[in-house]
Amino acid sequence: MHVTQDADSMPHTDAQPAIDVRGLRKSFGSFVALDDIRLTVPRAAVGLLGANGAGKTTLIRTLLGLISPDSGSASVVGFDTRTEGTKVREFVGYMPEAEGLPTNTTAADFVGHMAEMSGLPPRAARQRAADVLYQVGLAEERYRLIKGFSTGMRQRVKLAQAIVHDPKLIFLDEPTSGMDPEGREEMLELIERVYRQLGIAVVVSTHILEDVEKVCNYVVILDQGRLVAAQPLGGLDVIGGEAIVHIDGDQSAFQRGLESQGVTVRPADLEMGFEELVVEVNDEAVYDLIRDLAVEQGASLRSLRTRSRSLEDIYLGTVGEMREEVGHRV
Amino acid sequence: MSDTASPIPATPNEGASRYGEVFDRGYAHYDGPREGRRRAILSLFGYSIKRALGIRKSWTAKILPALLYFSAFVPLIVMIGIASLLPDANVASYPDYFVGIFTIVGIFAATVIPEILVPDRREKTLPLYFARAITRFDYVLAKLAAATVLTMTISVLPAIILWLGRQITAESPASAMRENLGDLWRVILLGTLIALTLGTIALVISSMTDRKGVAIAVIVIGFIIISSLVEPAITELNQDWRRYLILIAFTLVFDAIGTSLFDSQPDAIVQLADLPIWMYYAWVCFVIVAGSLFVRWRYSPRNAS
Repeated sequence: MHVTQDADSMPHTDAQPAIDVRGLRKSFGSFVALDDIRLTVPRAAVGLLGANGAGKTTLIRTLLGLISPDSGSASVVGFDTRTEGTKVREFVGYMPEAEGLPTNTTAADFVGHMAEMSGLPPRAARQRAADVLYQVGLAEERYRLIKGFSTGMRQRVKLAQAIVHDPKLIFLDEPTSGMDPEGREEMLELIERVYRQLGIAVVVSTHILEDVEKVCNYVVILDQGRLVAAQPLGGLDVIGGEAIVHIDGDQSAFQRGLESQGVTVRPADLEMGFEELVVEVNDEAVYDLIRDLAVEQGASLRSLRTRSRSLEDIYLGTVGEMREEVGHRV
Repeated sequence: MSDTASPIPATPNEGASRYGEVFDRGYAHYDGPREGRRRAILSLFGYSIKRALGIRKSWTAKILPALLYFSAFVPLIVMIGIASLLPDANVASYPDYFVGIFTIVGIFAATVIPEILVPDRREKTLPLYFARAITRFDYVLAKLAAATVLTMTISVLPAIILWLGRQITAESPASAMRENLGDLWRVILLGTLIALTLGTIALVISSMTDRKGVAIAVIVIGFIIISSLVEPAITELNQDWRRYLILIAFTLVFDAIGTSLFDSQPDAIVQLADLPIWMYYAWVCFVIVAGSLFVRWRYSPRNAS
């Protein structure tokens, strides 16, 4: 099959970030929806986290080129969102949160139409529609009217229309919203498959931390229009983990010894009936310090176990810090 | 297309639930042509027409458009057939024909055209459209074009058949066609103006509601009320400005334009109003342009979700 894209219009190479945001700001009247967002996101399964009103939807709409920012700029899959909005949308898919499907038409017809709306010729669009409906598990139902579909099947149609034109990146806005636990689990599996096997970068906008933990390997956290964190999810323990230390010996002296080395230590709750210390681990060297101090003080190190911070800890911690900082400034 | 073969065997997962099965027959990336905005606009145009006519929808959606096409074409074809068989029978004159067809075109615009715009709002598919390779302007352009072309199929096409019928039933069809070629262009012009005007008015009203029934009711009732009020207003009122009221009764507006195009006697109310013919043309152009701009405004980011 021939390719009509010329070299200049080809959007994306693996080396390029999927999203590159430079000082994006958008306000609606006095409400600041996005405040100086600076962000570079690799081709990954990205969780876009934030409470309602955090700016997630505004960020997505800006990245799709549907909203013009007040200042700053962004490029998505290599195209500038301000000047090349239609090009961005040609190579990006979007699955909105709201129920948004025509009911009195078949899934194949609608998904094929959406492929054409992304620039595919009619014949290729029909073929792609059949293929992606097969990929999302609606092969048998594709000639049925959408009005007879369950919530889960409709979500699948929405996912199919988002990937039918073989985008480089898709934005999924609350993809598991309104689904029962079983349907939600299946949708998450599908999303993971879209990223891992179909090779399409994914941005999942959600306020459900568990969804992000399940399918994403990169997280972006927004709060009140500000960027709170943007980093790989697998490396979240870099932000901070904890070591639970149980020693036989003078625990207070051990705590003072660690604190004198600049390590943050606090007594643990008496979960097991032992007195334990919770040591913050920001660096691998902390483990060496614990070992050396135990030798130096002649204390027996009975146990040392690590406890990574969950995404919820990270979210609450970073958002809390950000709000505190803003509060101080005000 | 390039096939990026997947390592997963091509079998469904055992025990997967009714939604959850993912069959893997390999995912083919698309590396064929991408035709961008042009294809997107064409697709939206074609899809809107198909949806409005009930194509690829349930059979009930096809009934009304089919009935209207039947009432526009069949009596005309029967009339031409009779005229070709009976030398004494006359085929309708163009102005008479357009007066007759105007009601059918009006009902068509009121009932079929809202289907072009309203479902996208009611079913909340606008975010999906605006996330594709089009701008909001492209969306409105495609919808306006679809409404106009669709209305032309019932205002211009039968009129062209009428023109053909009149020539075929003439004593010398070939020479009649040559001599009356000017009528063909006048027929197309009048039919196109009717299509543009009624199509735009129907879209304006459709752009203001999420309910097709409301759009239909407003358009139909609006036409009926205006048509029934204008005539007594013009004849009974004493003020000089009353004659301009004729401009809101589009039946009379197109009667004036049609009779001027074909040099025939206009309706008595048109004669009473006695407006210059350019004013009717200017008014029709204003309605088309203002209506299009209004729909464009309705779909600007502040007004459409």
